[in-house]
Formats: sequence, structure tokens, C-alpha cells
Amino acid sequence: MSERKSDNGVGSMPSHLKLLLLGVNHTTAPINIRERLAIPTHRLADATRMLAQQPGIREALILSTCNRVELLTVQDDGAMNDILDADEAAPMLSMVHFLNEYLQVETADIQPHVYEFREREAIRHLFRVASSLDSMVVGEPQILGQVKQSWTVGREVGAVKSTLDPLLQRAFSVAKKVRTETQIGSTTVSVASVAAELARKIFGSLSGKTVLLVGAGKMSDLTARHLIQQGATTLLVSNRTESRAQLIADGLRTPSITTGVIPLDQLHQQAHRADIVITSTGAGQIFTPENARVLLQRRKNKPVFFIDIAVPRDVAPEVNDLDGCFVYDIDDLQQVAMQNKAVRNHEAEAAESIVSREVARYSDRLSHSSSTEAIKQLMLEAETLRQHELTRTAQQLARQPLTAEQMAAVDRLTKSLTGKLLHAQIAALRDEASDGGTED
Amino acid sequence: MSLLWLRLAVILYGVAALAVLPAALYNRPRWRHIALPAALAGVFFHFVSITETLVAAHRALPIDTHETLSWLGLLLAVAFLVLAVRYRTVSFGIFILPVVVLLAMVPAFRPGHERIDYPLIRTGWLMLHIVSLLAAYAALFLSMIASFLYLIQERRLKQKRAESKRGWLPPLETLDQIGLNSLRFGLPCMTAGLLIGSVLALQTIGLTFFADPKVLLSFAMWIAYVLMIYIRSNSGLRGRRAVYLSSFVFLVVLAVWAANSFSAVHRFKAP
Repeated sequence: MSERKSDNGVGSMPSHLKLLLLGVNHTTAPINIRERLAIPTHRLADATRMLAQQPGIREALILSTCNRVELLTVQDDGAMNDILDADEAAPMLSMVHFLNEYLQVETADIQPHVYEFREREAIRHLFRVASSLDSMVVGEPQILGQVKQSWTVGREVGAVKSTLDPLLQRAFSVAKKVRTETQIGSTTVSVASVAAELARKIFGSLSGKTVLLVGAGKMSDLTARHLIQQGATTLLVSNRTESRAQLIADGLRTPSITTGVIPLDQLHQQAHRADIVITSTGAGQIFTPENARVLLQRRKNKPVFFIDIAVPRDVAPEVNDLDGCFVYDIDDLQQVAMQNKAVRNHEAEAAESIVSREVARYSDRLSHSSSTEAIKQLMLEAETLRQHELTRTAQQLARQPLTAEQMAAVDRLTKSLTGKLLHAQIAALRDEASDGGTED
Repeated sequence: MSLLWLRLAVILYGVAALAVLPAALYNRPRWRHIALPAALAGVFFHFVSITETLVAAHRALPIDTHETLSWLGLLLAVAFLVLAVRYRTVSFGIFILPVVVLLAMVPAFRPGHERIDYPLIRTGWLMLHIVSLLAAYAALFLSMIASFLYLIQERRLKQKRAESKRGWLPPLETLDQIGLNSLRFGLPCMTAGLLIGSVLALQTIGLTFFADPKVLLSFAMWIAYVLMIYIRSNSGLRGRRAVYLSSFVFLVVLAVWAANSFSAVHRFKAP
């Protein structure tokens, strides 16, 4: 087992239930392990149902993404204690066993990579995962959607019930809070998304914008796709080999995207049609300040954004000095991405404190609700006993029954005695709950 | 009582002007939720104050410079709210709201004692003349701020500095649209204002009105305004040159405003 977190004494769940989270992620398991454990979306419902049917498991949720597979369960304390007496790692083993059974992966292969969190630490981990603090790219937004999908599936198959349901809903609200109160998700960190973000800063909406792809390359293709995803509607391709240009254009054409090919020798005559020019030929300076000036004139000085992914550069750096021309080469884009990563890491610290605060608050709330349940139960039992004793006494005095006034006095007396006898226990329960809740 | 409402409006504008700084510069939604309602409440009390003053005095227009400044402040505050709703940006508030505070503060704490004596003081036409011109000035001011913000955003993008995704400035194209649309809104306002003023002046003063330097400067201002829109629309003037052009026309407007003090026929002062 790569990591093991013990019970921090949350005392939060209904006393007979315990929370246990088990999983592997990109930091504990290599891809060859993760890909074997990954549960595809179409099998998620079936897997969740099976996990929930394991002995001792009351509720279950499976989160399976490309970077993690996690099993979150609510287990019966009694069953858990029985197993714990025998072997403290047994509940974890039973879940590893499930993975082994369901996915046919050797237990020995999985076990060294598995981490385990219980109670409060499980809550913290869930909140961190939903808030994207445990992601490979901190602050990426997809994880929240993936947790929500697992939650939906869990509810549909009846595996997410009264304990996990509020916990997950709280995880979603914590994630939302982290997003709104910090800037963790407000910057982009991949080169392609940085380019798209910059394009938005120039043009606002990319809807109706034209992208010109000069040259062919994986990175330029990815950037063009990103810009199309962001709303660009026309794609022009210019390449030394026209057939290759046509192939790229055809590959990116969709019913909502218009594509076209510009012969390389007509590039300067037609480049003004594009709002965003992505270059990746590496053939030297295709765009010089002189032809960029002509391009701007033809565009009536409307801004143009050059994304130069080529090495050596296709766009002369001086083009950036022209009013209306914005040139970002691969180093510029990478530098912005790195700066953005630093911003995210800084914001992650603020996000961690939000998560800690929310974990404490949630645990507190559950502690109090758990102690309230126990107090109610205690009072109910005492009242039943009192009523029983009153009835018995009334039967014993059947020959000389008490008057209504006397009965009322006895009733008051027993109530008062019961209350005073229970007072110390109730106070102890409340103290215990507040101690458990504030412990961090 | 109208002064009380105006002072309340000044306080609310002040709150909005302060709250807009973290809201715009650091993208803090919580501050945005303070700035916008405060500005809206400020506009409401400002409007109440102006209406109450006019109703109490049985007139339809401002009669001194301080009151006119207050009207201009109200128009600018409304423009800020319109931009916030239409373009979802509060960045303009960094510049507009302090100006609004100043424009409203002067009449709120030092009401003017200047009085004009003009036969058309109770007519709607004169009010339309004043409001149209004030709207044109406000539009020009907005356009100038938009050009200035364009310049800042352009510089940031050229310097390739990282910043938050939302940024504190709207995209360049949005700023360009705001600038041009403000001018396009201001042109009919200015034209209508000058036409109405000219007709009223012809009726009451006669042709001598047009020999006044203030009046001549006003027509020069209109020509500069039209030229600016023509140049911006046709040559796609942006960035530094747009700022220079807007600043030049703004200076002409300030000169026209200042010329009011030296005008022989456009003061209508009571003896």
C-alpha cells in the first residue's frame, strides 16, 4: 500500500457507519496500472452496483478517470470492527479484492499503488478531488463533471444514499466555492489553450472568426482545433503540398466549420482574410513587417493574431511592434503557460484552506447531528422505561388507586428524576461531539 | 431634502467607486456585487434629488453650472451601468465613478448661487437641448476611456504578460465597439442639441447669437466629432492614434464648455 491514513476520529457518520476511500492516481500508479483499473463509462453503473453489494458495504461510489480510480464506500462499523480485529487492512483488502474480481487484475499488482483514507481524511480527499486540487493539472475543470457523473450513476443504481449523497453535494458546493473565491481555474496552462485564451482577449468571442493554418504540424493542428472549439467558424489551410493542406482542411471540416485551401504562393494576397494566423512551417520569415503592414491595410487595421509555433520562426518578431499585430511564438506561449501554472499553484494554497475549513464545518455538522441522534435515542429509552414503571406502579396500586392529582405529582416526579439522571450523560455526549468536530 | 438625496447619492457613488477597484482589478465577484447595486442606488437617489429640485422650482432644466455638472454625473453613472449590463464589464467604473463622485459632490456640498434669466426656462425644448449635449459629452468621455483602455490592453498583450483568464479589461474588439458605439450614439445627440439650441437662439436672440465665439466653437466641435467618427469608421483607427484623436476632440469639448464663461450671449445670467 503506498499510503495509509488512519481514522482521525471524525465521529461524524451515524455511529455504526464508517467512511473509507481507496484508490490509485497519477502520483501513486503508473499508467500501465491505471489503464488496467480504469472502468469505462458504460460499465460504471454495473461496477458501482457490484461494489455496493460487497459484504459490509452500505453505500458506494466509483470515480474512474484517466488519472485516477477511486472507490468511496460507507461500511458497517460492526462488520468493519470484526474484520479490523483480525486484520486492520481487511476492509481495504476487500475492496482491492473487488477490483481484482471485477477487472481481473492481480491483487499483488495493485496493492503497492493503492492509497486509503478514512473518515475525516476521506472527506478531505473527496473535497480536494472535486475542487481539482488533487488533479495532475491543478484547477482543471473536468474533474468536477466526472465526480458528478459518478454521483449520478451511484444514485441511479441505489448505491449513493443518505450518507454519501449529502457528502457529495457538499463536495460540489466546496468545489464551486473554491472556483469562485480563488482564481485557481482562471488561467490556462496548455500552449493550445493559452493561444485560444489570448485570441479571446483580442477578439472577445471567436464566433465568426477565421483561422489560417500555415504549414502542418501536430501542435498547430491542436491549436486550430482549440480555436474552433472556442467558436472560430472558418479555417483556411496553406501548405507547401496542396494535397496535404486539403487533407487537413477536410479533417477539420464539420457542418458548422467552413474550410478552404490557399496555395502557398497566394498566401500574402489572401492572408488578410484571417483574424488568427497559425504558422508552423519553420521555413524562415514568411511574415515580415512589410507584408504584415500590407495585410493590416487590407484589413482596415483590424487586429490580427499570429501564433508562431515554428522553429525557426515564421513571423518576424518586429511584426509585434506594429499597431494591430500580436505575435506570440512558442516560447512566449510556453512562458505564459508557466506563469499561469505559478498563479494556479499560488491560488491552490488559498483553496487548500477553504477545503480545510469546509472539512471541519462538515465534520462538525455531522458530529452534532450524530450526537443529537444519540441523545434522542437515550431520551426515548428513558421515557419508555419511565412509562413502563408508571404503569407497573399503577397496577400495584390497583386496589387503592391514586387520585388524578397524585398521579400528576408522580408523573412530574419521575420526569424530573429521569431528566436529572440523564443530564450528565447528555452533557457528555454533547461534549464528545464538539470535541470530535473541532479536532483537526 | 433634495440636497440630502444628492449627498446620499454621492456616498453611494463613493462606495461604488471604491468597490469597483477590487472588482475590476482583481476579479472579485463579491466586490462587484457591492459596486453595481451601490451605483444603481446612487443613480436612483441622484434622479430623485434632481426631480425634486426641478419640481420644487417649477422649471425643467438646470439653472447653474453646478446643477449641470450634476446632470452630467447622472448620465455618466447611467452609462457605467449600461456598460456593466451590456458588456459585463465594470472596468470603466475605475475611471467613470470617481468623475461621477466629483461631478455630484460639487452641487451636493457647494450648491451654486448663479441664476439664469431666460424666457424659455420652463420649456421642454431647452431641456432637450441641454440633455442632448450632455449625453454627447458623456458619450465622448466614454469613447475616450474605451480608447485609453484599448491602449492598455494592447500594451499588455504585446508585452506578453500572464494574467487571469477573466482579466480586468474587456477584449480589444469589445473596447473598440464600445468606443465607436459611444461616438455613434453621441453624434445624433450632439446634432440634435446644436440644432435645437440654434432654433431657440434664432427665435429669441436672432442672428447675432451665431457671432458668439462659444457658438462658433460648438459648431467646430460638431465638425471635429463628425470627422472623428468618419476617420474611425473608415480607416479602422485604433490604439494610440484613436486615443490622440479622442483626446483632441475632448479638448475641443472642454474649450466649448470653458467658453461658456466668456460668452456674451450664452450665459442668460439674472441681473
